[in-house]
Amino acid sequence: MTSREPEIKNHIRRLRFDHGEMTQDQLAKQAGVTRHTIMALEAGKYFPSLLLAFRIARVFGVSVEQVFEYQAAESSL
Amino acid sequence: MSDSEKWGWWTLGVVALTIAAYVAFVAFLGHGPATSSVFALLALTAIPASSRRYFKGRTFDERERQIAHRAGAAGFSVFWLAFVGVILAIYFIKGWNATLTVPVWALDETLWWAASLVMGVQALTTIVLHRGVPHD
Repeated sequence: MTSREPEIKNHIRRLRFDHGEMTQDQLAKQAGVTRHTIMALEAGKYFPSLLLAFRIARVFGVSVEQVFEYQAAESSL
Repeated sequence: MSDSEKWGWWTLGVVALTIAAYVAFVAFLGHGPATSSVFALLALTAIPASSRRYFKGRTFDERERQIAHRAGAAGFSVFWLAFVGVILAIYFIKGWNATLTVPVWALDETLWWAASLVMGVQALTTIVLHRGVPHD
């Protein structure tokens, strides 16, 4: 049996560079979190709340789907 | 290092210092008021105005709050296991109808150890949950 955990990938790093090489600190301040949380998000170590996801998307001026990408879990017996 | 992680290291350090001081006092002085007084060192956890949700007056963000919540749950889970274990041990060792005479220092120290256990596990869990994210 194999299974894979559901994953939420994000494009925060790319979006930061697309927005004038915005620093993690600048994004953190605008999103109302610490830089460590942005680092954890980029490293895929933390999945944000819906509220934070919308805040980050608003900072970049894009939709949530353009920042976060849901990949459904796969499972087979 | 995030504020949450600093809280973890600070608290773990205070708990470790308290345990080291306790062991040293017991070795040189035995049990007594002086030995019990080392648990006052635990008050050092309050110096940075710290709690599981605040550090130096700053509110944790959502990730730090999530870590604090999980660390708190781990701390109280370990405390609960220890509590049940001690109660069952007393039943089996002393018997259901036994009468216990416990000196005040033993009761006090049991409570101090329980507090140390909860804080130590919370701090350790906080540090572990922060692993994997690059530091400054």
